[in-house]
Amino acid sequence: MLTFILRRLLSGVVLIAVISFLAFVLLYAGGGDIARRILGENATAETVAKKTEELGLNRPLLAQYGDWVVSALTGNLGRSWFTGELVSVSVSGRLAVTLSLVLGATIVSAVLAVVLGVLAARRGGIIDGAVQFLSLVGFAVPGFLIALLLVLVFAINLGWFKATGYVPITTSPTGWLASVTLPVVALSLGAIATVAAQVRGSVIDAMSRDYVRTLRSRGLGMGSVIYKHVLRNAGGPALAVLAVQFVGLLGGAVVVEQIFAIPGMGQLSVRSTTLGDVPVVMGLVIAFAVIVVIVNLLIDLAQAALNPKVRLS
Amino acid sequence: MMFRWKATAALTVVAALALAGCASGDTGSGGGDSGRADRLTLTAIAAPTSYDIGQGAEWGNRSPFFQAVFDTLLSKDSAGETQPWLATEWEYNDDNTVLTLTLREGVEFSDGTPLDAEAVVASLEHFRDGTAPQAATMAGKEFAAVDATTVTITQEAPDPSLINLLSIAPGLIQAPSTFDDPDSATDPIGSGAYILDTASSVTGTTYNYTANPDYWNADAVKYDNLTINVLEDVTATTNAIRAGEANGAKIADNNTISEVEGAGWTIESNELDFQGLLLLDRAGTMAPELADVKVRQAINMAFDREALLQSTQSGYGTVTEQVFPETSVAYDAALDTTYAYDPEAAKELLAEAGYPDGFTLSMMSTPAFQTTFDLVAQQLSDIGITVEYTDPGTGNFITDMLAPKYPATWMALEQNPDWQLINFMVGPDATFNPFGYQDPTVDGYIQTVQFGTPEESDQALKDLNAYLVEQAWFAPFFRVQGTFATDANTNLEFWPTNAYPSIFDFSPKN
Repeated sequence: MLTFILRRLLSGVVLIAVISFLAFVLLYAGGGDIARRILGENATAETVAKKTEELGLNRPLLAQYGDWVVSALTGNLGRSWFTGELVSVSVSGRLAVTLSLVLGATIVSAVLAVVLGVLAARRGGIIDGAVQFLSLVGFAVPGFLIALLLVLVFAINLGWFKATGYVPITTSPTGWLASVTLPVVALSLGAIATVAAQVRGSVIDAMSRDYVRTLRSRGLGMGSVIYKHVLRNAGGPALAVLAVQFVGLLGGAVVVEQIFAIPGMGQLSVRSTTLGDVPVVMGLVIAFAVIVVIVNLLIDLAQAALNPKVRLS
Repeated sequence: MMFRWKATAALTVVAALALAGCASGDTGSGGGDSGRADRLTLTAIAAPTSYDIGQGAEWGNRSPFFQAVFDTLLSKDSAGETQPWLATEWEYNDDNTVLTLTLREGVEFSDGTPLDAEAVVASLEHFRDGTAPQAATMAGKEFAAVDATTVTITQEAPDPSLINLLSIAPGLIQAPSTFDDPDSATDPIGSGAYILDTASSVTGTTYNYTANPDYWNADAVKYDNLTINVLEDVTATTNAIRAGEANGAKIADNNTISEVEGAGWTIESNELDFQGLLLLDRAGTMAPELADVKVRQAINMAFDREALLQSTQSGYGTVTEQVFPETSVAYDAALDTTYAYDPEAAKELLAEAGYPDGFTLSMMSTPAFQTTFDLVAQQLSDIGITVEYTDPGTGNFITDMLAPKYPATWMALEQNPDWQLINFMVGPDATFNPFGYQDPTVDGYIQTVQFGTPEESDQALKDLNAYLVEQAWFAPFFRVQGTFATDANTNLEFWPTNAYPSIFDFSPKN
């Protein structure tokens, strides 16, 4: 087990190294004169040249990347070219915001998806049809459209929640709830649809297995069979889907944070990528990569806990 | 029973949220012992790049962030006139090369250090030697502290824009004790009306300020707290307005104006930018056709400016054919009807110039303004000019324009005060004269503007403007309406000279 974890962590480090290099190169290929972009149209050519020199942008790409790696290894990710903020502060400050959205959405969608999936599998008929229809809708309707609709109804017309901005939970718990509820709902809907469909399929599949018939023949109740045995077997694939969803939700957060003007990693990604704010983008890339590696590791461990057969491989 | 309990709990939560919503929506009035209103919440479309003035001092859409924490040496009132601020008096010597400023006494930075002549000199030098966008405007100028409250600015030749510059970014005064501290990029120390509350602010997104308790001009401060939220997304801005989450908002897209008015907000506007073609290659080094003034005039006649304004700006703005703003002495309303929309006459002019079959012109495009580019290409093709567009990528648009890689280009540019405008887009070294095109007549007018008496200078400006229109250096389409909206609780007088209002021009309505 320990070697399994160590191997996973090592490949994670390699992955991060490769991704950081690719991101660096791509950012420069996306190109443009970054100093000019920072300074805008009012700056003269001399000021632009001075800024280029100041940021070391006139040096070879590999030398710049080398410098970045060296200082990153000492824990210094530099400062944003567009706000002057320390990248470590920028990224960690927004990490909590995005994680509260994404974790919230993951929990909401996991709970609801399991309930709906099991209901659909067990009851069939109208409920099954309804769940399948909702899955289809949730899957087909883009998240931003749902987000805009939610803002219109619950923030602008009813005034229950905030249309823009984020309130830290430490400042005001009710304010925090008012600011995260709509984004979490907007984020969850698509995930609920996908995971519920997965749970439904797994449960139906598991129920047709011999062991269920055996258990039933011994007089166990249907509820007991499903919650004690079937879900345990169906849980593996559902967890895998949930993991994919979690990573997907990070992507969804990009759009949702933009619409709700929430200062999370998604909003920061959009802004710093379009601006070409290399230090911040690199910080974000590292943070995202670390999150993905950790999530995948946790999911593997959870699957191993659920199903002993996985542990052997 | 269980379910009823749940329903009750849900209702309670909803009610609590609704109450919280009401409470947080209560802005603009109330207030404490100060006699001021509690909080002014504004939205902006761009965050400051760095609060260190040597790195990021900027006006335009970034002005409120700097204006909140720093003072400028001079200021502009809501009519656009220069007024005393940190400097109470200012005077030129006879040949306009030395400006003497008298500073207000007893002003302190928010860290308690005195704001005296030495601090002002250090701050001006810090700006001049740094890399803020307008750093070059102070190049070659020398600053000296004569005594504790007197500063002189010495320059080789007169700079008619200096007074204006001291009321915007180059005139910002930062505490010298913070120059070497990299944290001054996000934690500024100035003498301004407000102090940035870094603990509750999120750099790039939300900026919270509290009123400076020791501010020298306390009467000008109308709110105890100031919040500026950066909303880059047009939809987010409209949502914030409709949900009542701000008192004032910069409107980046004029096509949303009717929706903003529908929410009960008031529109304030000015006209700062013009959009149109810059016919940069007037010597014809890259596109020989543009060397002929008839070709440039024909291009001017090719555009149905009213139609362009309607289709790209919902009509918000004013058609124009000159690059000097309405507030300038150079402005002449009659010049705006020099080139009536007349494709047939334009074709004849092209034929006279030796291009009866037209020619091909290469220009840049960018996806954000696709409609404009399509319309421009279509109107030019009507007179026989085929446009070949290249999309250089967003980050390269200005760089490639100034390289220069294209003989002509569409652009939205600010109409600065006269001398700044000349140095920005007309003079031989102007940033937006990338081919360095020079014309002795233009040079003569520029010379008079700089060295002449005020009367001679005004006349030269008028002549210069008329000449630029006649010579068709540009093909302006219209001045775009700059739009700012305020809610029912807030008064605003929007100065005509900047993209964002002065924070001192907001006041609570009671």
